[in-house]
Parts: sequence; structure tokens; C-alpha cells
Amino acid sequence: MTHQFNRRKVIQRIAGLGAATVFGLHLNFAFGQTGAGPIKVGMTGALTGPYSEYGEAVKNALDLAIEQWNAKGGINGRKIELTTVLDDQLIPDRAAQNMRRLLDDKSLAVIMGPGGSGPSLAVADMVAADGRTFINPFSQNPTPTYPNGLDKPPRTNMFQFGILSNVEAAFLGNYLGKTYKKIGLAHESTGYGVAGKDTLLNIINKSFPDRKFEIESYAQRATDVTPQLLRLQRAEVDAIVVVGLGADLVNIRRTMRRIGMQQPLIASAGGVSVAYMEGAGDAAVGTIAPLVPALVESNPRPEVTAFVNSYKAKYGPDRQWGPDKNRPFAGMSLIVIPPYDGANIIFEGIRRANSTEPAKVTAAIENMKGYAGVNTVYSFSRQRHHGIDSENLTMLQAVKREDKVVWEVLKN
Amino acid sequence: MKAFRSYLSIIFCSPQLLFACALIIFIAAPFMTGAQQQMVSFAIISIALAQSLNILAGMTGQISLAHGAFMGIAAFTSVILVKKLGISPLLSIPSGAVLSGLIAWLLSFPAARVKEFYLAMMSVGFGMIFSEVVREWESLTGGVMGITGVPSAQLGTFIVFGWVVSTTDYMRALVVFALVMMFTLDRFVRSRWGRALFALHVSELAARSIGIRSGQIKRQAYFLSGALAGVAGALYAHLVSYIGPESFEIHRSIEILVMSVVGGLGSLAGQVLGGIVLTFLPLQLEAFADYKFIVYGVVLTLIFVVMPSGLAGVLLDPPRFIANRFRAQANNVSEKPAERKRIVGEEILRWENLRRDFAGLTAVTNFNFSLRGGEVVGLIGPNGSGKSTTINVVTGVYPPSAGRVFLKGQDISALPIEYIASLGMVRTFQDPRLVGRFTVLENVMLGAHLHQKYGWTEALSGLGRVTVDERSALDRAEAALSLINMTEFRDSVVDSLPYGYRRLVELARALAVDPDVILLDEPGAGLSEAEIGRLKQVVRHLASKGVAVLIVDHHMDLLAQLVDYVVVLDSGEEIFRGSMNDMRSDPLVAECYLGKLDSNATKAEGAHA
Amino acid sequence: MNFAATLLVAGLSVGSIYAMIAITLNLTYWTTRTVNFGQGSILMLSAMGTIFLARVGLPLGFAVLVAVGVAAVVMILIERIAIRPAMGESGSMGWAVSTLGVGILLQGLVARYFGSQAVAFPEVLMSSDLYLTVGGIRIGAQYLLVFTFSIITIAAMEAFLRLTVWGRAVRAVAQDRELAGVMGMPVLGIILTSFAVSGALAGVAGVLTAQIIGTVDPAFGFNLLMSGFVAAILGGFGSNIGALVGGLLIGVIEQFASGYVSTALGHGISMVILLLMLAFRPQGLFGIVEVEKA
Repeated sequence: MTHQFNRRKVIQRIAGLGAATVFGLHLNFAFGQTGAGPIKVGMTGALTGPYSEYGEAVKNALDLAIEQWNAKGGINGRKIELTTVLDDQLIPDRAAQNMRRLLDDKSLAVIMGPGGSGPSLAVADMVAADGRTFINPFSQNPTPTYPNGLDKPPRTNMFQFGILSNVEAAFLGNYLGKTYKKIGLAHESTGYGVAGKDTLLNIINKSFPDRKFEIESYAQRATDVTPQLLRLQRAEVDAIVVVGLGADLVNIRRTMRRIGMQQPLIASAGGVSVAYMEGAGDAAVGTIAPLVPALVESNPRPEVTAFVNSYKAKYGPDRQWGPDKNRPFAGMSLIVIPPYDGANIIFEGIRRANSTEPAKVTAAIENMKGYAGVNTVYSFSRQRHHGIDSENLTMLQAVKREDKVVWEVLKN
Repeated sequence: MKAFRSYLSIIFCSPQLLFACALIIFIAAPFMTGAQQQMVSFAIISIALAQSLNILAGMTGQISLAHGAFMGIAAFTSVILVKKLGISPLLSIPSGAVLSGLIAWLLSFPAARVKEFYLAMMSVGFGMIFSEVVREWESLTGGVMGITGVPSAQLGTFIVFGWVVSTTDYMRALVVFALVMMFTLDRFVRSRWGRALFALHVSELAARSIGIRSGQIKRQAYFLSGALAGVAGALYAHLVSYIGPESFEIHRSIEILVMSVVGGLGSLAGQVLGGIVLTFLPLQLEAFADYKFIVYGVVLTLIFVVMPSGLAGVLLDPPRFIANRFRAQANNVSEKPAERKRIVGEEILRWENLRRDFAGLTAVTNFNFSLRGGEVVGLIGPNGSGKSTTINVVTGVYPPSAGRVFLKGQDISALPIEYIASLGMVRTFQDPRLVGRFTVLENVMLGAHLHQKYGWTEALSGLGRVTVDERSALDRAEAALSLINMTEFRDSVVDSLPYGYRRLVELARALAVDPDVILLDEPGAGLSEAEIGRLKQVVRHLASKGVAVLIVDHHMDLLAQLVDYVVVLDSGEEIFRGSMNDMRSDPLVAECYLGKLDSNATKAEGAHA
Repeated sequence: MNFAATLLVAGLSVGSIYAMIAITLNLTYWTTRTVNFGQGSILMLSAMGTIFLARVGLPLGFAVLVAVGVAAVVMILIERIAIRPAMGESGSMGWAVSTLGVGILLQGLVARYFGSQAVAFPEVLMSSDLYLTVGGIRIGAQYLLVFTFSIITIAAMEAFLRLTVWGRAVRAVAQDRELAGVMGMPVLGIILTSFAVSGALAGVAGVLTAQIIGTVDPAFGFNLLMSGFVAAILGGFGSNIGALVGGLLIGVIEQFASGYVSTALGHGISMVILLLMLAFRPQGLFGIVEVEKA
């Protein structure tokens, strides 16, 4: 039995279906900002995958900030809605695709960008072209916001709240140059590691030109880093500085001990993570890192206390909070607080401008001086679209207190 | 269900409808949002990637986890050429593709020498090396930071001959590309080269024995596969405007594998299905990301058990491998290809002092033999006596340890199998190594491969000798089919036929080669009475045409009716040569088959008597 | 001198783990002519399992044992789900893809239910700062311990194979499965045993590696599998001596390449060795060239 289908009929039916589909696709009206109705926010971040702690940090921060604003009546009476949350797993391609979708949605007023240097770089051009107000939550690479260099004006619609690598490098470089003569520098072979290493070298060379360096690189999640550390040991460096994420820092720390390296270990801010603290255990004691001291100061500012309490109330002592139920992990200043402060500042900017028009919001933010956030007190300007500067940073050290390893301000 | 499948197949597999779909998308383009255009563009690129892997994995049976790297090679090449040297994308994209193809071609050399599963590891290793090179060669590839600001439509920086290409234009160009790709691939699959790849997959040895040059074909398949992946990679780079080392690592290769396998290996339509499903599903289902690894894992684990032919196997009719336009004349059998003059009685095949050892075991030794055109000779002996080894040595599967083999006067002692086949000697196997998914006709046409002359470019473009060669090959195949009396089975899929029929089809395939000598390895095993009858007819016909025939078999009755004389082997040595009657009464032969009469046994019998 | 010596020690230590992994590949190869492409996830499973069990209160040593046991069981499941059904299916592609799939599935499951973060792996055997001094050269005790542990395990495996009845049965099945079956050997039982041992050994390798690195995440294991594979190819697939020599060689070569030339070369060199071996001597240093009956 054969099935004789009338080809013409089939083609007609398909053509009909096709036309309907085209029409359906066409039904994609964009509701513009009308000055009434909720203020819509969209975000993309690493919600799943090996870096999900970063996306989770941003989402938690954003949710908390929005909830608090809405509890006070929203922004000038308009509620804030986080309408679109996309997952990019910290993969640059994915972030770019997600950003395309977010930008296509003309109803969004504020966009919370992806974390990580790779994704931030991948979306920078298209965000700048679009022009809407954009928050870079914690990435340290300054190029997305300052594409022409740090001495030239930043992109008007983009604001960055993490510790920029040049800021960290200036501070850390100053400390290192003052304290050590021969510096061993190990960096992970990623955008974060390479950029961090480059900026650090630049700073130290400028202010302390006679300092010597030994530079090694390692792959993220490498099984063994013995050769790199052996070379640093052989070079008899005074200290080891690591620009990389916390998980690999554990391996480095253990290897240092296995081969008997006594030099002090200095981590970049990105190394201060729960994985490091748990993995290194007591071996973490002595590690030094630059950070915002907000969470470890003995007399915290009221904004800090308020945040700490409200975070714990909403989320409990979760993965971001860290293993010590009573004290929040210092690393929250790196990935949770920046997007929190960032969201608050943007919302404040919208409130002051009484508009979501990017130019007006930007003007309002640039006029902000002395805004008390959690990580620090913020001031912006036409030239400055980032939140944290060197003077906001302190060197911290991991110490043992009552059987726990905690971070405290480094005593000289 | 069958009706549903046929319906779907009409929609999906008819060229007119494909064209219509493309037209609709083309027209709808300006009304689509940026994200929708991007989605369609991704889908097309995914389809191209799946097709590229299919050429290697689905058709040739070469598993590859390196296609992410092939994508990447072309992507970086194109981007670097455009961004740093200001070369037009029209040049840079093909250049990248050619480079990918060349590197894939280079990889085919070690690939030819190793077992199948080593290929997977080799491809992973290559991918890792590529990734490492990209990360280190900072000056060229941007190192770990990758390259931002890749000239692309969405940034308005993709410029061809002074024309700034918009995202709409880019998508339209991709639609055109997709059309061209599908038509080209369809032509390829239905050409001698496409069919040869499938034959290679099933049995490299069998393919070579009918003259298919496996090494050369595999290398070309690698080139084509790598080049197509390269085109997709370059198009991808200019779509997303950012590439870095992570864009092309193992997870990408795994995604391509999943697409290809889910769609259905070996089916062009399947690749389209796989590409579409695995582009839209992740983008539409946000939750998908959470479960992505789990889904991919389950799919890969179970696919070969549950749905080995993928979605295409379930939803569509099986693909076919002969272009329909050539079949119009296929039923005309009266035109047989010109027969070659063969002289009955002239010596065609000879071997002298033939010997073959295997690590201490001598399988054949001291063997001398000569075969004339029109002769039918039987080669018999108990298992392990060296019969199959002889055939293998003589046809080039292994070289002789000593002695020489001559075909029509030419020394062929250590020549490759396919070359010997092209000189006119063909053999059959103890198990029919046919392409299961091919029809009888498609399988038999493989035998005519040697006589077709058109190359890959003609196969892809459809120009040149293709029509002439395909038609004459079809004629040869039909002629062979009528010899074995299976003309009405020409469109039956071989897997659905009983064993005996399959053996006959294999014989027909060998006949289509039109050899001067044919060696039959146990042709009668597993055949029914009727089938044996056909076999006898064929052998007699061959002998009458001056073809020399050597038969290895155990069916004494069959041999008795066919052979002029027999040669008996035992433990690698010849123990008898002569007529079958004389053989039956020869004591040495009886002893080798039945064993020496045990003198103790006779005494014991006597004692009980 | 210290430099080279430490590189050597580290290389032997990591190399001994590669050797162990190569042997786990050999085990399934003998009895079924297949190799588990998801073996990396087995390593990961036992390391993650140890951490998880330790967290819920099991004493560490016990946690390791249970986790290794789980790895063995999972391997048996893999034989049933991914290997046996896929045999004879279009050559080796069937089981290669299915075992790869199982590896990905395990990774996905662990990531889904335990998170994708790198989690800390405690110092099971001893602290990382203990060391010995031999001839004026400092040798980290952890390296030494990992090396010793691996060698003992490998030696035990060899003894098992050569001296016990089960061991000889495994070798019989490896030679000729049909014949072994006809001779009355419980072929399926032998196959399952080989898989279980392969899994257990992989579990041990996973724990030892986690010990060195310090943290584990769901993607942990794939690179190790590749290195183990290179070790097996270098030494000759199917040969235990080959696996040992191959593993140690790869470990040491990687360290020295990293130490004296560059880390990039260190990463890439094992893959280059893989390609070269496959191109020029696929049977490895100790393997036998197999001649197939056409």
C-alpha cells in the first residue's frame, strides 16, 4: 500500500502554516517605557555550572535590594520588577547571546550584566551601542567601562562596582613594592589572571622600578603546580603573589608546604573564597589579601550592619555567607555586596532623576557624592564610573581565632 | 505510523518544500527581532556542524571529538584575516575553511592506522593541543582574552565590497548558504563517493576488495568534514562578535556529537532535525540549562540502544543513495555494458612457492597453482588447512612470506588489495559484508565503483561525468542482478533479506566489478536449495564468459557439479590435485578428513567380535 | 639538584596515579575489549563521595572505603547499561559514545544535587608539610605516600592476576572469551569482577589525586582520564608493565617539560606524545601487534 499524497495540497498546507508562523513571530510588540508602571530589570549571570556561586551572589543581591526598595514604596511610587533572569554559566558566548535577548526587550530599564572578565568583555560593545543603564556587578577588568583607558572618560551608560584590577593592583602593588624586593607572581591562565598580572607589574614597575619579579602561570584546575612553585623557590623570591581563584589557591598552598616554601602567600582578592578557606584549613593561616574591610572592621558602619542582618534574615547562613554562622565571610565584599550596592545606587539615581532615561540617570549618579553604601562610601563623576578606589582597600590577613580561621585587618 | 512517516518525509525531505521554507524565512527576515534572527542563524550553523560531523561519524564511521577545534581553526583564521589584514570576509571565510580541512586531512594519516576507539582519544588530544596553542599564541589569537570586536553584522562592522551587512542580510545569507549546503550534500550522498564511505564503514576490507581506495577516500572525507565545520565556525565567529579559547573546546565537540547522534547518524535530514532541536530547546527552556548535562548524558548513554538511527530513524523514511533522476532509465536492462574479450584457456592467475607464516605458525607452504580463463577449480581441505589464508594472501590482504603471485602476467605479490581488484581479481567473504541500510541495488552498484570515473568535485557539483557514470553503473548493477535472478528485489533494504539472499547480493556486487578472476570463499554456506541453484547458474555463466573461478567450499555435491578439478590442502600443504572422483578414492585425502585408522581400535574390535 | 629531584618526585607521584588509571582501563579492555570513556567521572564520584560521607559524619578512612565501594558498584552498572547493550553496534562507536554519556550524566547529576563548586578535600593521609630528607634533598611526604600507595596497589593487582585463580580466569577470558565460556568459566562473573576492580581502583586514584590538588569539582577527572589514556597507549594497551612504565614516564616528562621549558608545553606534551604514538607505534612500548583474521 503506497501513500499517494497530493504534493500540491501538502505544499499549500505548509505555506499556510508558514504564513501563520511568520505572523506569530511578528506578534512581538515592545512596550516602551511610559513613565508609569513598574521599572523592569533584566540580568544574565552564572546561575548554573561550575561558577554558579557568582551568579547566585548577584541574584541574591539584586533580589534583596529590590525587595527593600519595594518595601519602601518602590522608586517614586513605581515598583521594581526583576522580569528576566538568564543563565550564561560565565561563558562569554552565552553571555553575549543572552545580552542580545535582554537588549531586544525594550521594556527593560536597567540591565545587570554578566560577571567575569570574559563575559563582560564579550557584551561591552553591544551594551554601549544600546545605551541603556548597565551595571557590571563584580568583574575586575576595567576595559568594558573604560574602553579607551582609565584616564579617558568611561562609557556613559555603564557602571562597575567590583574592585577594578587597576585599583587592586595600585593598592596591592604599593604594598608589595614597599614590603618586598623580589616578588614571585603566579597567575591563572585566564583573562582574569593575565590582566591582573599585567596591571600589577605595571604599577610596581612605575613606583618601585628596582623590584624584581619571577612570573609563572598555571591552568585553572590543574592537577599539579609543582614545577611553577619549584621555579619560584629556586629563584628565592621574598613572597608569592597569586592572581587566581580560590580553588586553585588550595593546590598552591599545599604544594608550597610539600616543597617546604616558607615565604608569605599573598592572594589577589579573587582568591578569597570559601573553597580556599575550607580546602586549606589551618594552612590558610598567614595568607594575606587586599580587600574592602567593611565586613571585618571592629566598628562596622550602620549600613554594613543593616545589610548583614537583612541578608541573614532573608537567606540564612547560605553558601555566600560562609561556614561561620555568626560572622559573614569576608569574601562577600567581592561578589555579593558590589551588585547590592550597585543596584541601590542605580535605583537611587533613577529616584533622583525621577526618570529611567539613561542620560538623566547617568547625570544623577555622576552627581552623587558621599553615598553611604555597604562596601564603602561612594562618589561618582563624569570621569569616574566605578565604585571602589585604592583608598577604600586594606590588607587583610587570615588568622586563627577560637579554633576558626578568620580574616582580620593586617597589623603592621 | 508508516503514513505519518511518509507524510513527514514529504514535508521534510522534498527539495521543493525546503526551498519554500527558505523563502518564507527569507521574506520574514526584516520582521524578526534581533534575537529571533540570531536564533535562526544559530540553528543554521548548528545544522552545518552536525552535517560536518555526520560525514565522518555517520557515513565513514570515524568518531570525532575534534570538531570544536576544526570550527575554531577557521574561526580564528577568518577573524584574524579580516581584523588584522583587512581582507574581505568573502575570502577569509573560505580560507579558514580550507585551513580547517587541511588540518583535518593531516589528522587522517594517524587516524588510518589506529583502532576505532583510539580515534576518539586522538581527536580529544588534538582538541586539547589546539586549545593550548590558542591560549599561548597571544599575539595572534588574543591568548586567553580572546578577540573582541570581531567584525560582525550586529556591530555594523561586517563589510563586503563596501556594503555594510545588517543582521537581516547576514541571516539571509546564511539561509542561502544552508540551501546550497543541503543540495550539495544530498548530491554527494547519492554519488559513488558517498556510497563508498558507507561501504568503508561497514568493512574496510570488503570495500577495498571491490576496488575502493580506502586510504584516499578517508582522507578526503576528513578534509570535507573539517572544511564544512570550518565554514560553520567562521560564520559563527562573525555572528557572535567575540571568540576565545573556551568557545571551541571539548564541550563544543560534545554538543555537536549530541546533535548529530540525536538527529540520526547517516541521515542528512537527521542532522537538520538534530541541529534544530538542540538549538531551540536550550534557548526556549531556561530550566534546560540546569539539566543540560544530565540530558546530554542520558541521550548519549542510551541513544545507540534505544534509537540508534536517532530522530530521523523514528520520524522519517530511511534515506536513499541513488539520485532519482538517474533511475528513470534504470529499468532498461537490454543495454548491457560492452563485454570484454576474454580468451578461454589462457592463464590468468598463478602463484609459485607460496608461503605464509604467522608468528611461528605456517599456514600455507610450498603451494604452486595456475588458473586459466573459463576454468572452475575447487580448493578444499579441513578447517585450518590454509584455504582462507591462501585467498587472503593472493588478494593482497597479507603479503606472502615467500613465493610470488601473478595476475595476467603481472607480479602482484605485495600490492594493495584495491589495486589488485582494479587489475581484475575479486573475492567474496565468508560473511556478506554489505551495507545493511542500502537497498540491493545500492549495494550492487558499489561493485561498479571501479568503473566510474568522476571525482569529488563533480560529485559535489553534479556536473561533468556524473550522469553518464551513474547511468552506466546502474546498467551494470541491473545486469548483475538479473544474473542472480533478484531483479524484483532491487529496492529491498538488504537488512530485511534472509541470509541466503544477502550472500547472493554480495556475489552480484562482485559480478558488477566485471572481474577476470573471482575467488569465492564458501559461497554455498547457508544457502537454500534454490539459492544454490542460482549460484551454480552464475558460476557456469562466468566460466562460459572466460572468467576464471576458484571456489573454496565444503559442499562436495555442489563442487562436483561445477569444478573441472580440485586441489586439496592439509595443514598448509597440497596433498592432492585432480578430478573429484579420483579425490574420493585417494587415501591421503581420506586420512586427512577422517583421521588415521587406529590400529589399537581395530584390535579391540576384533577382540569383541 | 633539589629542583630536578623534586620534579622527579612529583612526577613519579602523579605518574603513579596515571599508571593506576591506565590499569583500570586495561582491566575492562581485557575482558570486553572496551574502555570506559567516562572513567574520569568515576574518579570524581569517589572523591566527591568521600567528602560528602565525611560531612555527614563518617570517619574519614571509612568514608574513603565506602566511596571506593560505590565506584565499584557504579562500574558494574556501567557494564550493564552502557557496555553490554552497545556491543556489536557499529563497531566501537556504540560503547565509546555511551560510556562518554555516562560520564557526562554522572557529572550532571553530581553538579545538580551537590553543586558545581570546587569543594575542599581534606588531608586524609597526612599533612602537606611533612617531609623526609634523603641525601640532602627534601622530599614531600605526601608525594611519597601517594607514590607508595599506588605502587602497592598496582603490585597487588599484578599478584592477583598472576597468582590467584580469579586472576588467571580474567586472563583466560582476555585471551579468548568464547573458549573460556565453553570451558565452563563464569564469563559474565569474570567480566563483572573486572569492572568492579576497575571501578575500585579508579576510586582510589580519585581520592589520591584529590589529596594532591586539594579540591574537587564535578568536572574533575576528565583530564586525568586523558593522561591515563596516554599512559596506556605509551606503554601499550593491555599491558600492566606498560601502564606502569607509561604512567611514570608521562608524569615525569610533564613535570620536566613544565619545569625546564614552560607550563604550556607541560600541558600539551602528553597530547603530542599521544598523537605521535598513534601515528608511528600504536601498540606502544610493550604492546603486541594484533593480527586479525580477515
